[in-house]
This record gives sequence, structure tokens and C-alpha cells, in this order.
Amino acid sequence: MPEITFRQAIHDAMVEEMRRDKTVFLIGEDIGTYGGAFGVSAGMLDEFGTERVWETPISEETIVDSAVGAAMVGMRPIAEIMFMDFVTLVMDPLVNQAAKARYMFGGKATVPLVVRMPNGSGAGAAAQHSQSLETLLMHIPGLKVVVPSTPYDAKGLLISSIRDPNPICFIEHKLLYKTKGNVPDGEYSIPLGVADVKRTGTDLTIVTSEIMVHKSLSAAEHLSKEGISIEIIDPRTLRPLDVDTITQSVMKTGRLLVVHEAVKTAGWAGEIMASVSESPAWDYLDAPMRRLTGKDIPIPYNKFLERAAVPQEEDIIREVQAILNNEY
Amino acid sequence: MGTRKIKEEFENEKTIDIQKKAKELGLSNDQLVEMYQTMVEIRHFEEMATQLYALGKVHGTMHLSIGQEAVAVGTGLTLQSNDYLINHHRGHGHFIASGADVNKMMAEFLGKDTGFCHGHGGSMHIADVSANNLGAQGIVGAQMGIAVGVGIAIKIKKTDQVALVIFGDGAANRGIFQESLNMSSIWDLPVVYLCENNHYAMSVEVERVSGKVPFKDRAKALGVPGYFIDGNDALAVYEFMKNAFDHARAGLGPVFVEVETYRILGHSKSDRNLYRSKEEIDEWKQKGPIRRFEKLLLEGNIITENQVIEIDKKMAKVIEDAVEFAENSPEPKIEDVTEFVYA
Amino acid sequence: MPIPFIMPKMDMDQENVTIIEWMKKEGDQIQKGEPVILIETDKITSEVEAPATGQLVGLLYQENDVAPVTKVVAYILKEGESEADLPKVAKSEEHIHDKETQPNKDEPPEKGNASNLEAGAFSGDLANIKSRVKTPATPLARRIARAEAVNIDHIKGSGPRGRVQAADVRAFLEKDSKEIIKSGRTSLSGKTIDVSIMRQRIAERLTESYQTIPHIYQTVEVDMSLFEDNRRILNENAEKENQPKISLTACLVKTIAICLKHHPYLNASLDGEKISFWNEINIGIATALENGLIVPVIHNADQLTILETNRHMKALTARAQAGKLEHHDIQNGTFTISNMGMYGIHSFTSIINPPQSAILSVGAIKRRPVVVDDEDSINVRSIMMLTLAADHRIVDGAVAANFLLELVNKLENSELLSI
Repeated sequence: MPEITFRQAIHDAMVEEMRRDKTVFLIGEDIGTYGGAFGVSAGMLDEFGTERVWETPISEETIVDSAVGAAMVGMRPIAEIMFMDFVTLVMDPLVNQAAKARYMFGGKATVPLVVRMPNGSGAGAAAQHSQSLETLLMHIPGLKVVVPSTPYDAKGLLISSIRDPNPICFIEHKLLYKTKGNVPDGEYSIPLGVADVKRTGTDLTIVTSEIMVHKSLSAAEHLSKEGISIEIIDPRTLRPLDVDTITQSVMKTGRLLVVHEAVKTAGWAGEIMASVSESPAWDYLDAPMRRLTGKDIPIPYNKFLERAAVPQEEDIIREVQAILNNEY
Repeated sequence: MGTRKIKEEFENEKTIDIQKKAKELGLSNDQLVEMYQTMVEIRHFEEMATQLYALGKVHGTMHLSIGQEAVAVGTGLTLQSNDYLINHHRGHGHFIASGADVNKMMAEFLGKDTGFCHGHGGSMHIADVSANNLGAQGIVGAQMGIAVGVGIAIKIKKTDQVALVIFGDGAANRGIFQESLNMSSIWDLPVVYLCENNHYAMSVEVERVSGKVPFKDRAKALGVPGYFIDGNDALAVYEFMKNAFDHARAGLGPVFVEVETYRILGHSKSDRNLYRSKEEIDEWKQKGPIRRFEKLLLEGNIITENQVIEIDKKMAKVIEDAVEFAENSPEPKIEDVTEFVYA
Repeated sequence: MPIPFIMPKMDMDQENVTIIEWMKKEGDQIQKGEPVILIETDKITSEVEAPATGQLVGLLYQENDVAPVTKVVAYILKEGESEADLPKVAKSEEHIHDKETQPNKDEPPEKGNASNLEAGAFSGDLANIKSRVKTPATPLARRIARAEAVNIDHIKGSGPRGRVQAADVRAFLEKDSKEIIKSGRTSLSGKTIDVSIMRQRIAERLTESYQTIPHIYQTVEVDMSLFEDNRRILNENAEKENQPKISLTACLVKTIAICLKHHPYLNASLDGEKISFWNEINIGIATALENGLIVPVIHNADQLTILETNRHMKALTARAQAGKLEHHDIQNGTFTISNMGMYGIHSFTSIINPPQSAILSVGAIKRRPVVVDDEDSINVRSIMMLTLAADHRIVDGAVAANFLLELVNKLENSELLSI
């Protein structure tokens, strides 16, 4: 199986779908000759022309609003918003237009669109270009929120997102673009709303996403040398959330740690913990559920401060050990 | 697809000789009478809506367009059935003029399951997507962004459809106005921008908040041909819109028109009209579009006094029937509250 | 029909308006659209216009009245109509005077109002909450304890703040087998099994009995020759008539029951500083099972006939072997009998079943040479050894001995079974 980058996987998903389905088109800033701020759409203008690759002025609100309009009349737009931080500019189109049209119009409208947004810190992009705001979107009925962590997941999930008849926020962690993974050659897709067990274990369940999946895997490797067996669940889709896979894992291990880069207060770790608490897994908990998250701060510029703002591998290791030592 | 371009500066010629004008525009007497009838229908609909509200039968609020009927009818007649309509919250008139079923509209008003949106949207969100009525927006101005998308879709599909987007003088101040017109202009999208300047954005008069530049000039500055016409002259509206649609359909790009009209009633039902004087309202009532058109038709011998009375009665009945239909319709089932969130 | 003049609703949440002034009076002619009523709502004064042209009559509300919206406040007569045409006023449309809309100032404020809560009301409760939960434990620990029918309060917690973890419960359940293995047998190999709950229980009870009750033991020999002869004849007849055979143990139970009536200290319990002499005589019969020991009870043995006793015993034994004993079957025993005769044991001692005060160990009947006193010769007789263990705190030696004496007499004379 060939190994390709996360960036390439997303590129391939869009290209394959655009070849297969003429209603799919890409709209966003600097996606043409420049190839997109993160290089994801390189070569697409050449292949598909201006009819399918619409390079826009700096007009985020209209980029997504127009995606809504086009989607309502039979197209399948993919809108690229350069940084997830700019989701603030497209909240109205996402929340009040895309998420509401079908419901408000009594089921008579369909809005099949995908909004792709890079998130995450670690690139030194500072406070307004480094946030992880997926919790805000997870809160909106009518939207779906997808958070891939590997090239395999990214391609399969993006293909499903493009084919899905609902408005979907597809979140790509900036630091993952250059990571590599095995991706099959032929056509495949991964259903939304299905979590993936990235590592099986018996002592503790970590629920985590995007780049934190990789930090958790490293931490788990390290901990296995101490005889600690960690199970890692990657939800892959935050809305709709695969609660069953998570609760089954917690029933097995009796311990839960949620790790995410998003800020702690009202971050989605709370949603995971509440869901587990409401489930039969509650009876199997042998330690308080814990979360390891971004600090309640904007992302700082200095690279050491930036590193300290979000969980790192050593933090995960320490937290797991603390839970297993009954420190809480 | 015609190739007629609109004159550079569109002169708003007052319609004096209706026979001549109608001939020029290719409208038969029957069509003129139908235009008049539709205006009366809209007026009856809006007045009935007011009554129902006063009787406590309508949940929430509503935004009435009494006084703006000529814009609706002049535009509605231009819209082809495969053109797209992207409406705003003061859009009942436009819906009716585009051929929407008043029974279903009334039912939606009363929140019933037989309404256009199964009672899920109400007055502010009426839509009939399959009939290319893409819904009324409650977020002022958002429809301008949606219109760009519809324009893009038409271009990709290479059809001769036009997207008509309607908004008010208030919405024209939003940032999205610039984004939308700019993008339509650079891509020559087939979008007709209809700005209903009824002089007030909620409670603030247009002169106070809309700066020193008329809307049509703002459009021009963004590369979209911009025009201003008297919105209470139904034929003038029709004439202009016909030209505008031809222009857009010919692939010549977007068109912007500001139609001047006046909103007789308050912004919504909570509006006490404190921000304008009774005299002002009365003055505009005299210039009302229905009265004007009626006068023209009577003077041009296209309609008789008796016919006027008949039409009034007939439209009153149509609306009463709509109310009866709506009142006899069932409420949506409570279990359906979670329906329609996802496809 | 006169036209109803309805007070319009002008606001989403509005329910009432106050009428400041009737700008047109009763009987005046009014035009459609003309202002007729000056009203006041929460914040503002405005005018209500006439909905039709005609004569204003039938005013239902006066100035300063509060009128409900969407309801009729007056009527408009069309040409040709008169007051006679007015509909009768329905009760619901009658006046609402100002004073009725004011809240009653004498009523106490509603309970449950947030401001009624005293500050610090919760901190006072915290102490109560702490004591309500005797043993903090994780949900998993509780689950395991529940499944294994172990009282979590008995388990020491290793978690923070004394919290019982699942590991603590598991450790508690495994403690016995671990301790046995620990005691110096490190080089031996063998099969290890978990201690079952039943064995755990047995172990607990016997240990408690052994350690707290001072046992005294008395042994007697019983000449069962006559008794057994009679029993054999009876059973041969029973067999012919397809009746169930009478067991020795049943006879012993019955005989003991009769004796216990005269020896209450052996049918009693000590509880702290009180001794209870039980009215019922419920005799437990120690029964061996595949994996342990259980003591089903014949209740009110003194009131049963020998046949009934025999029948009950057989039923109990059957249920015990099938594992189908019910709670009632093993409850409220006041005396226990243990018969090892079938194993050939000639005598043995047993541990009292608390809270009983005695237990009788019955040995095998063996044919033995015995000195027959009145003949001064040696004969072969059927001899059975009985050993009584009694709680010396309430049963003295003489008391125990007297009971045994009566028991032996009755058995040797075959009082129960006579042909």
C-alpha cells in the first residue's frame, strides 16, 4: 500500500470526487495558481479550470453563504476557509443558513456542502491563526463535524463528507499535513459517525483526536514498557459522535482520559465525559474521568510558551500514571 | 436569450398613457388586470395577517409589506418559473407575486403541518425550494451571499436561469453587500439585485444611516450597473425588471436596482411607529401603488368601477378561504419536532 | 349583526391594556380608521382605530379599566341596527377592575423562591452528606461487591481519602486462598481454586463460633438394640405397603425435640446479657453437599408426628442435594444434629452453630460386646455414641447431662417406636 501525506490524501479525495461528480466544485481564497495556503489544491486549477475552481476575493462570509446557495440548487461545493480561526466570519452562513435551511423549510431544502478549515497550534502562527474551535461547531444541530488524524482517515472521510447531503465542517490540523500514512489505491470511503480504535489496551481508555492521537500513541508506547496497556479511541467524527465505541471501551478498562488541543472550559472533553457518565459504562469506572486539554488562554507566540499551552506527550504520560496510581 | 442592454441612465418615465405603455411592453389588457388583481390579493393577504395577529392567532411576529405591492407584482411578472427567488423577511408579497399558493402560505403562518415548511419556519422562513423559491432569510443581508452561490451554480450548469435577490435599504449597509456585488461583478454572475428602499431600516430612516452615496452608485463603484426607479409604479417596475433580467440572462453580468417605495405599517408587529409622523404616513398612503394603478386602469378604460369592486370581493374571498384552509389544518405532530435536522 | 370592536394585540407577549380615554363616546358615529380609544401598555400610550364605520355602542370597559387584548370591548352598529341586536354579554367578557389585577399584598411570598435560601444552607448539609456515605468506593468496586454479595463497608480502601477500588474488593475476595498459599509452601506445586462464597460463609461462622463460644463436650453410649429392632419391623411392614421407610435421623430428631421441651437451656440463645428461651423447637440437620455443608431445619419438630418428621426430612434432603433449598428451609434453627453414622464414625465432636447453644453429634450404630449388668454377663448389642457440645456460658454440665440422660432413656426404651 503506498504511503502518502495527509495533504496529498485530502487533495486526492477532492480531485477524485470532482472527476466523478460534475456538481462538485472548490471555492476559496488563493486556491488557484498558489495552490491553497497549505498547498492542498495544487494543480487543481490546471485540471478543472475556473469553472470548477473558484478563486475568491477576501470575502469569507460570502464564500460560505454562496456555498449554501449553490448547494441548495443542486451543486456540491467544497469551501476552503484558510484558518479555522476565521470560522468567526462564517458563523452566520454555517449556523443560521447551512444548519437551519433544511429544518426551517420543513425538510424541503438540502444543503450538501463541505467547509474545510485548518486548525491547531505549533506552527508559531500566534493567537489568531492557531485555534481549535471545533466545539463551537459541534454545538450546532444540522452541522456535522469531522476531525481526521491520519491520511487514510482523511481521504476516506472527506470522500464521505462530499457525498453526504448535509453541511459538513472538515477540520484539518496544520501540523498533520506533512505526516505520512498508508492509503489504498482504489476507491474507498469511511462512514461518518464511526470511531476508530487506534490502539487496543486494557488499563485505560484515551479518547483523542487529530494530532493528539499521535502524541497519545507515543505516550502509550512509552507506558507499555512500564507494563501499562492503553486503549486509544479516535472518534474521527465529533458530530455525530460514536458514543457506543467509547462507552464499550470504558466498560473494558474502567478508566477514561480525554485529550484534546481545544481549550478546557466548555471544550468537547466535557461532552465525552457526560456521555460516558450517562451510559452503562458508569458502573465500570474505577477512577474519576479526567481530561487533558489546552489551557484557557489564547495561543502564545514564543515557541516554548506555545508548546506549554497544549498537551504534550510527557503530559499524557504523567496524567495516565497519576490516574493509575489513584492520585485523583 | 436577448441581447438588449439597459440604457446607461435609466430614465424613470412616469406612466401616463397606459394603453401606449402596455403596447410598448407587450402586455395585454388581461395581463394588466391580472397585475392589478395580484396587488389586491397581496394587500388582502397582508391585511388579513394583521387581523389574525390582532386576534392573537399568529405566534411570534411578522413583517408586512403593505404599500410595497407594485414592486412585488412588477417583479413577479418578470420571473420565469425556472428562475430563482431569494427573498427577505418582508417577502410575502414577492412570494404571492411569484405564484405561491396562498393556502400553504397562510397555513405556514399559523404554524400548521400543511404550510410550506410544515410549520417549522413560520412567516419569516417561507420557502418552496422545488419551485425555485429558495426561502426568506431572517438574517438581514445573508441572501446576498446565497445569491452569489446560485449564480455560480447557474454558470457551472450553463443554463439561462437568473437569480433574483431581494433585500432592503437596511441590508444594503452590511459588509456582505460589498462582498456579494464584488464577486458577482468579477464573475459576471446572472444575479439581479433588487433593493427595496422603503425609507426605514426598522426604525432608522435611510438618510440618517446610509451615508452620502446613493445605493445605485455604490453598486456602480463595485462594478455592477446600478439604477433607481419609482417602486410604486407597477409598470415602471415591470419594464425595468424585464430589461434587467434580459441583461443577466444574456450573460452580461449582474444588475442592481434600488426601487423607492414606502412601508405603511411598522417594521414588525412590535413597532409603534414612534420614529415617523402620522402626516408622513398619510402622505405616502395617498401615493399608494394600488390606488395609482387602479386610477391608471380606470382612466385607460381597461377596467370598470364594477370590476374593481368585483376584484376586491374576489380576492377577499380567496384570502378568507386560505384562512379557513389554514385553521382547519392539523398542527404538526410533536414527535416531528426532531425531524428535518439532517438529510 | 353588529360588528365587534376587538382590542388588538400589538406585541408578542401582550395580554392587557389600560384604557386611558374613550375618544369617542357611547352612541357616537365613528369612521373606519378613526382613532377611538387611547390606551396604555407597559411603556407607551397609543391609539386604537375603529375597525369599521358605524355607531359606537355597548362599551364593555370604562376609562381606567384594564381590558384584555383579542377580546371584544365594544360594538359598532351598522345602518339599520339597534341596541336590541347586541349579543348578550358572556360572563367571561365581564369587567376586570383594576384592583383584581394587583397582587394580593397580604399573601406571603412564594416558597421555593431562590432568595429565600439562606446563605450557607448548603455547607451545613455537607457534614450530613459525608456521614451518609460510610465507605467511598468507585462504581466498579461497588459493582463487584454487589455481585459477590460482599459488604463494601467491610473492605479497606486503598484509594485516596480511603476510597475502595475494584482491586481492594478483589483482594478481599481472594484473601484466604492467598494466605494459605503464603504460609511456607513456596516450593510446592498444586492446583489453586478460588474460595467460593459458601465456603467463605462457613469459614466465617465456624471461626466465630469456635473462637467465642466455650464448648463443653459430653459423650454417652446408647443401646439401640430394641429401638432398631422395632424400626426394622416397622420398615419391613412399610415396604410391603409401599410406604416410605422411617429413617433413624428422623426418629432422633423427634426424640430430641420432645426432650428439649424439658430442657430449655439447650434450646436457647445468648445475646449479650440476655438469654432467649425459644418457644419453637426447630432442629437443623447438618447435611453434606458436594461443595460444602448446609443445615436445613425441621420447624416445630415437637409438634410433628414421626411420619411427618420423616417426610419433611426426606423433602429437605432432596432439596438440599438439588441445590433448591429456600431461605425458610435454613432459617431459625434452635438446635442441630449431625449424623456421621453412615461413614462408620463411632464418635466425634461438632462446633455449635451460633446463635444456638448446643449441637448433637451422632455416631454409627455398632454391634459390640457389652456387659449386661443384671445378668453379669457379656452380650452383643447395637451401641450408638452420642456426643453433645453445649455453650458453657449458659449450659452447665449438669444441665447438659440431664438432657442426655432423658434422651438416652427414651431411645433405649424405644418410646417413640413401639410395636
